[in-house]
Amino acid sequence: MASNLSRRQFFKAAAGLGVATGFSPTVRRVLLEPFVRPPEQELPGKATWYASTCRQCPAGCGIIVRVINGRARKIEGNPDHPLNRGKLCARGQAGLQVLYNPDRLHNAVRQTGGRNSRSFEAIAWSEALTQLSQAIEQIGDRSRIAFLAGLIPDHLHALATRLLEAIGAPPPVVFDLHTALEGRALAAGMAQSWFGARQLPLYDIANTEVILSFGANFLETWMSPVSQSVDYGVMRQGRLAGRGFLAQFEPRLSPTAAVADEWIPVRPGSEAAIALALGRIIVEENLGRVGSHRDHAHLYRDVSVEAMAESADLPSEQLRRLARTFAEAGRSVAVPGGYLGGLSNGLQAMDAVMALNVIMRRIGQEGGVFIPHDVPAPRFLNPVLPSPFSEVTDLIERMRSGQVDLLLICGTNPVYELPPSSGFLDGLQSVPLVVSFSPFVDETAVWSDAVLPDHTYLEGWGHQVVSPGADRPAVSSQQPVVRPLYDTRSTADVLLALASRMGGMAAEALPWPDEVAYLEESSAELHGSSISLYDARTPAGFWSRWRQFGGWWSEKPIREEPEPSGIPEASLGAGTAVFSGSSEAYPYILLLYPSSALSDGRGANQPWLQEAPDAITTARWNSWVELNPTTAAALGVTDNQLVRVLSPHGELQAPAVVHPGIRPDCVAIPLGQGHQDFGRFAAGRGAQGMSLLGESAVEGQTRLMWGATRVRIEPLSEIKPLARLESLDGEGRESLR
Amino acid sequence: MTILSRIASRPKTLSIGGLVLLVGLLAAGILLTRRAALAAPEQPIPFSHAIHDQAGVQCLFCHPGPLRSDAAAIPSVQKCAGCHRTIAVDRPAVQELMAYWEAQAPIPWAPVSRMADFVYFSHQPHLGAGLNCETCHGEVGSMSVLRPVNAMDMGWCLACHLEQPAQKVARLTDCIACHK
Repeated sequence: MASNLSRRQFFKAAAGLGVATGFSPTVRRVLLEPFVRPPEQELPGKATWYASTCRQCPAGCGIIVRVINGRARKIEGNPDHPLNRGKLCARGQAGLQVLYNPDRLHNAVRQTGGRNSRSFEAIAWSEALTQLSQAIEQIGDRSRIAFLAGLIPDHLHALATRLLEAIGAPPPVVFDLHTALEGRALAAGMAQSWFGARQLPLYDIANTEVILSFGANFLETWMSPVSQSVDYGVMRQGRLAGRGFLAQFEPRLSPTAAVADEWIPVRPGSEAAIALALGRIIVEENLGRVGSHRDHAHLYRDVSVEAMAESADLPSEQLRRLARTFAEAGRSVAVPGGYLGGLSNGLQAMDAVMALNVIMRRIGQEGGVFIPHDVPAPRFLNPVLPSPFSEVTDLIERMRSGQVDLLLICGTNPVYELPPSSGFLDGLQSVPLVVSFSPFVDETAVWSDAVLPDHTYLEGWGHQVVSPGADRPAVSSQQPVVRPLYDTRSTADVLLALASRMGGMAAEALPWPDEVAYLEESSAELHGSSISLYDARTPAGFWSRWRQFGGWWSEKPIREEPEPSGIPEASLGAGTAVFSGSSEAYPYILLLYPSSALSDGRGANQPWLQEAPDAITTARWNSWVELNPTTAAALGVTDNQLVRVLSPHGELQAPAVVHPGIRPDCVAIPLGQGHQDFGRFAAGRGAQGMSLLGESAVEGQTRLMWGATRVRIEPLSEIKPLARLESLDGEGRESLR
Repeated sequence: MTILSRIASRPKTLSIGGLVLLVGLLAAGILLTRRAALAAPEQPIPFSHAIHDQAGVQCLFCHPGPLRSDAAAIPSVQKCAGCHRTIAVDRPAVQELMAYWEAQAPIPWAPVSRMADFVYFSHQPHLGAGLNCETCHGEVGSMSVLRPVNAMDMGWCLACHLEQPAQKVARLTDCIACHK
């Protein structure tokens, strides 16, 4: 029909239809539902803005939420907040879909048909609490209780730690995939060994001239992307000496690499060699304006530039040019990204990158490396960091050998996030009682006996010390912007209720009637601080300003200038990148990366985030396999063709995206899809890349090695077009779809 | 060939009869649309403004919003129940109302006066300018079934804005006064 209908005819027909429409009565689809009981002080038609904290990722950005008639309508960045300075990313904006998600649990439930039966039955909170406290009391040996948490709000972590200590159970194990992929624990470990402070290093991107980023996706998901994006804008606008320069060393064209001046697609595992070669060139040629490099020459004693350049497959001339650019800038910084942590020689790579900052004396200098200043109150010292991965493997081992009687899981989804070869699911089945606190029925909740749903973050209380990212000590506070929509209960309040039921040591350790009392008491510790942005005459007044501002921070920027006290005595080494699978049978290196919208998969139940196109491929609503055109041609794979990706440990199927933004010897798969549960928008969509990892990525490791696996590709005949915003027309031109 | 393209590809000349039919259809369409816009919508409860007015209840008692806010708003179920726990409890309509209250459920009212979403309208300055509720909403106090009396379209707004004192007209007829 479309072929024989002219434009003129179309307009005529449309006009006729328009007239016909005039006959139909106006359909009133809108209903006005008044409050049953209006909130106090609620003025219909007037927006109220509440300051709180975003919990979509662990960065801790300040948000303000517009609330009309008791309903949260819009989330914006808090303009006063020192971290995100009024800006907010797409994940933050989508937070409303966590609150209003149709797949939320409306009340506490238990599984009646046994685990994985998915037949849930409502259970009264009082009964759930009684059963849980009785279960704890029946466990004679309290070391058989385990608490596995993601990067939960600080106050919840503190209360859980106190309760576990009081009843004689081991402290919480903190693990979630997002923080593992960021390399949080490794970055803190690196700062510990170089500066003697277990803090996350702060890279002063805003005030630098040259950035060498080794896989740090600081504009997407790594650490504090909103704050780093603001800083990057400052650096690019050339407030110092013209437009800043960014070189990104990464095998795949990430959005950060795409905006870099130079993208150097390095072979995975050769980052350490590159950083060492750069250091050796600087020391050898005595580059830069820092005087003699004699103090640090020993770090590069055993390093040969030619050998390193060869192992990295880069011309040594390019390395010499980059070394000069880096060393001769007034201010420069080298940033080790979380991606390095997935490689078998990742720790050597991180050290080699940090050494570049040390030899250029960039530690504690403007545009260099800092560590966050402590918040001056005892309760806010030592912000929560993920546990070393060995604690997770240790917990799995205890679970499998029947040494855990009760497992409490909060703010993480290990059944989905950990590779199947980790044995977590086996372990879970050996635990007699598993309780999840997830507001959604995720993969882990399905394998739990009971789910005691927490509020979503827009309904809950909390606080979080901002680390890293802000240029000053900051605590971001969280408060409810709406009344809880359903009969859910804050996990912190559940722990307090448990303690009071159990009495004795537990009740003594947790004497607060509810979490708000605890939080108010915490805020009072900062009352009267001389560096505070605001002050109040009374602690109650201070608590009120605390909620009004969305937390506490110092008036002026203060950063800690670390001392490079832990410079290694010996020469640095590049280590060897070991990959699981032989290069003959499995010719490609697997690159798993967190999706910028869905992160590690926690955003997959939010349709706005599913709909948000990936910045490079513009694909959405699915998983895909990124292949270089050369690789695709060799395999005979075309765009959108379904391929099977096989590793020595597992396989998955997904459509191919053929584009030049990846090395020919690599294959990239975004994480975040492949959920079996977690609601209607997430379940049954795409594939989970973690399933390709084997035991070597987990067992006996102090970290999760997600970047050390080889795969092979088998083309399938089916074409499965991805939902894409635009694509390449085969000759490199973009065409809208 | 489908119906649509058959209609569209009829002879290019329009006869007098066709023209009359078209104009007639247009006029009928406009009139019917207007009638539909000014009809009283069906409500979940047979609520009568007239009874409340006769009882001496002021508009702003139930709808206090216009004094301080953009919206007049529909009173909460709690407010209705505040009186009707004791007043006129034997009437069927009141019993229907109290059933909502007992179920703690909102009443799904159909809106009667509705401004388009792209208009930034606020009640407060209109009350501040000395307007009565009746100026725009009609004699609500005598309606047992509430119906709109004005279409609340742009021509109707401007008709009043243009009659204001000369020094205010420029501001009140500026596009961004209502379309921000």
